[in-house]
Amino acid sequence: MPLSERLSAMREAVRAGAHHHYRHDDTPDIAAEAAARGLTWAQRAALRTVRMCAGEPPIIEPDQRIVFTRTQRRVPPLYTPDDWAAFRATLDGDPSGEINNICADWGAVLDQGLLARRAQALATRARLAADPAAVEFLEAAVATIDSVLDLAARYAAEARRLGRNDLAAALDEAPANRPTSFHAALQALRLLQAVVWLSGHMHVGLGRLDQYLWPYLAADLAAGRLDWPGAEELLAEFFISLNRDSDLYPGVQVGDNGQSVMLGGVDRAGREAVNPLTWAALRVAGAVAMIDPKINLRVTPDTDHELLREASRLTRLGLGFPQYANDDQVIPGLVAFGYDWEDARDYTVAACWEFIIPGRGMEIVNVGAVSFPAAADAAIRAGLAAGDAGFQSILDRCEAEIRAQVHALIEPERRLILPPAPYFSVLMDGPLATGRDLSAGLKYNNFGLHGAGCAAGADALQAIHELVYDQRTLAPGDLLAALDADFEGYESLRTRLRETVTKVGNNDDDADAQLVWLFERFAAACAAEGDNGRGGRIRPGTGTAMFYVWLARGRAGLREPVVGATADGRHVGDLFGANLAPTPGVTVRGPLSTLQTFAKIPYDQIVNGGPVTLELADNVFRGDEALDKVALLVRAFAQVGCQQMQINTVNLATLEDAQRHPEQHRHLIVRVWGWSGYFVELDPVYQEHVMSRHRHGL
Amino acid sequence: MRGIVFDIIEFAVHDGPGLRTTVFLKGCPLRCSWCHNPEGLHPAPQILTSPAGERLAGRVWEASELAALLNRQGDLLRPNGGGVTFSGGEPLAQYEFLLAVLARLDHLDVVLDTSGYALPEVYAEVVSRCALIYQDLKLVDPAAHVRWTGADNAWILANIAQLPRLGVPFVLRVPLVPTVTDTPLNLRAIARLADGLDGLLRVDLLPYHRAAGGKYRACGMDFVPDYPEDAPLNLDLSPFDDLGVPVRLAGESYDAPL
Repeated sequence: MPLSERLSAMREAVRAGAHHHYRHDDTPDIAAEAAARGLTWAQRAALRTVRMCAGEPPIIEPDQRIVFTRTQRRVPPLYTPDDWAAFRATLDGDPSGEINNICADWGAVLDQGLLARRAQALATRARLAADPAAVEFLEAAVATIDSVLDLAARYAAEARRLGRNDLAAALDEAPANRPTSFHAALQALRLLQAVVWLSGHMHVGLGRLDQYLWPYLAADLAAGRLDWPGAEELLAEFFISLNRDSDLYPGVQVGDNGQSVMLGGVDRAGREAVNPLTWAALRVAGAVAMIDPKINLRVTPDTDHELLREASRLTRLGLGFPQYANDDQVIPGLVAFGYDWEDARDYTVAACWEFIIPGRGMEIVNVGAVSFPAAADAAIRAGLAAGDAGFQSILDRCEAEIRAQVHALIEPERRLILPPAPYFSVLMDGPLATGRDLSAGLKYNNFGLHGAGCAAGADALQAIHELVYDQRTLAPGDLLAALDADFEGYESLRTRLRETVTKVGNNDDDADAQLVWLFERFAAACAAEGDNGRGGRIRPGTGTAMFYVWLARGRAGLREPVVGATADGRHVGDLFGANLAPTPGVTVRGPLSTLQTFAKIPYDQIVNGGPVTLELADNVFRGDEALDKVALLVRAFAQVGCQQMQINTVNLATLEDAQRHPEQHRHLIVRVWGWSGYFVELDPVYQEHVMSRHRHGL
Repeated sequence: MRGIVFDIIEFAVHDGPGLRTTVFLKGCPLRCSWCHNPEGLHPAPQILTSPAGERLAGRVWEASELAALLNRQGDLLRPNGGGVTFSGGEPLAQYEFLLAVLARLDHLDVVLDTSGYALPEVYAEVVSRCALIYQDLKLVDPAAHVRWTGADNAWILANIAQLPRLGVPFVLRVPLVPTVTDTPLNLRAIARLADGLDGLLRVDLLPYHRAAGGKYRACGMDFVPDYPEDAPLNLDLSPFDDLGVPVRLAGESYDAPL
């Protein structure tokens, strides 16, 4: 579907930031007001949501059918620095930043409406009247509900004043009550989600949008109130609206904002859940072709070929999504970890790839990253220096390193205190019934750890295994000296390590055995940590996030170890592969072997997510059959038993031109680590990494 | 039995149906002046040099070793309508090695991508073990064929003529090289030759791609096209349409997989 003229113009205007003139730097002084009124932490958080909502004047542009334009650029702090220091000293633990990277129970909130949630809060307050903490939380929650209702009412009044009665009617009914139209549902979702951002949270995903919105659309279609072109037009406008404020959403880079959507899969009872909106969302995402929302698609080996073909159109556009998740691996993996079947079937992703349960998870999915290269390197250097007689000794040392890294990352987190989040609590399953803020925990309270640089770590172990202990053709002292010299003067040794030792990514059983071993030991180390202090455990994963850069080059404040030159022939500072990928520059046969390699990871133990990251040259897409071929590749990914996959499609020459002439490539989108961003807006280090992934061979 | 392979490309999207891995056998008896795989010409391994460094093109494989490698992908290739394509170079130039590999493949559909320049009995033996043939046909006129490819086309025409009897479906693939193969005369001759051949699925016309010369420097060779590279291609399909020969203009697919 092509975008309508109206939406094409809207898309261009959003990209150009035409709405930025509404923005300003005035923010309500929450800290001062709260201090004057003697408010608690939770009350301050509610006050911030209330004042931020009140500070948003209704802005309705003539061509808009889905409204909300944020004007306040910044979200103010809850305390002055001095007050915070004093308050923090009273806390028995370490407060974290604002809650982020979880998924609201959008479906239930839309279905019930905020008034019903409000009534529930008041009923619980009456029941728990003797519990001051519950009363405080529930009153804070009600205050935030009222502020959202007020914001909606002011937008409705403005719409009415402008003669936009359809918009006014939609805002009248939702989010206060259950929407009676697809339009009202989208509008309500837009407001509800925008207020999460206004409340200071980050990485606010939209979960299983095709599931919870389909009933509204289906009813409209059945009643003849809407046709498919009209539905797609609305959905496209909604998708464009998600891009209006993405530049205000803090992440490591512009684009890293976690506005993810999960499509397809099964319902909570395990029935096929692909519906017409699943298809429409794929079509519309292709027509909009912007970085938000980031599309994920759940698949199995039996997924309809035509659906995969439709998804492949997005890949062909170079959007870097969909990212695919394999239900056959993810769901049993979550169950093995302790999730209920119904919840496991309802999974979505957090900002990038971490599997979470909408409404039911207060999981902290990215506590940090284990550096496999650092663990392997420490073991290799110590073991060779000590004259270890066998490879098993190196492995033993490596396992101890992994355990030590995991423990060092987790131990301080046991003292973690999450800040109260009364508004986000309104959107989750449980808090309004229990009278306990989201920050106290939900049904699932696990931590996630990334497992970064797995290919480089395994390659280094394999090099030692092959050359030092098996062939006995490399003297330990030579390798240690070469590592210390960053291979300067040891070029032929480096070439040997690089070119002759088998590497991860080629479906080679020897190298892959090291990979599997690393993840098994990682899982064991996480399990050994036991409870995380919040009634959860530690989920090991296969993602890297930005650690593929940081673990190689360091960064201020980094807790994880930074590694120098490594025994796989890697120079100091060379970046690691993003997520599950061969080490950059390593020769691999191709995507089939790479999938076969990463299918060997024990995904029943490794459940924090992290995609196989494939890079396809864009010449793959010449010819009519290309979409079929990519669809088959996705099916192969599911058949072979991988867990998650993203595909990037880029033309190196285009990227080089974009570096030289950024103004001519404003819309060029690339996949970075778990999200898509505009290439020209990335820091050079990330630009370089994306380009290096495409710069292999002749 | 050993052979020399200069590349193995997984997820080869232009070399046959389904999910597919292509094996490029090194060495070719033809010298087509538009050849885009110059590293496939010489039968021995050679070092390619480029700003990115050096790369060895050509590795010796035992037939059993190559077959084992390909069989390891069978679980992905078979259920996705695919298999293995043997290309080159000219794969029939190493036909004994090729036959040894084919004999060891575990139920993998094989596409043979060939110039057809081989002894007819060799051709028949290999073809009969394949599921689909991508049979190149550049020029019908023998003198022109010698002029532009350095080789006579008698074997090629004889092999095309025996394809219907061999009972293996085939596609005729015609590289459209400006003023050389895209002439109305040549296209009419190809259409007449194709007309009525049992087992012919279609004729694929593969438009010339300017990237043809890209790898010559790395091979230490000069790319000297003795035809006007920029001349507009004759894309007139009427010689085929007139005879009812199924024809397809392939995207831009006559460039090598990178």
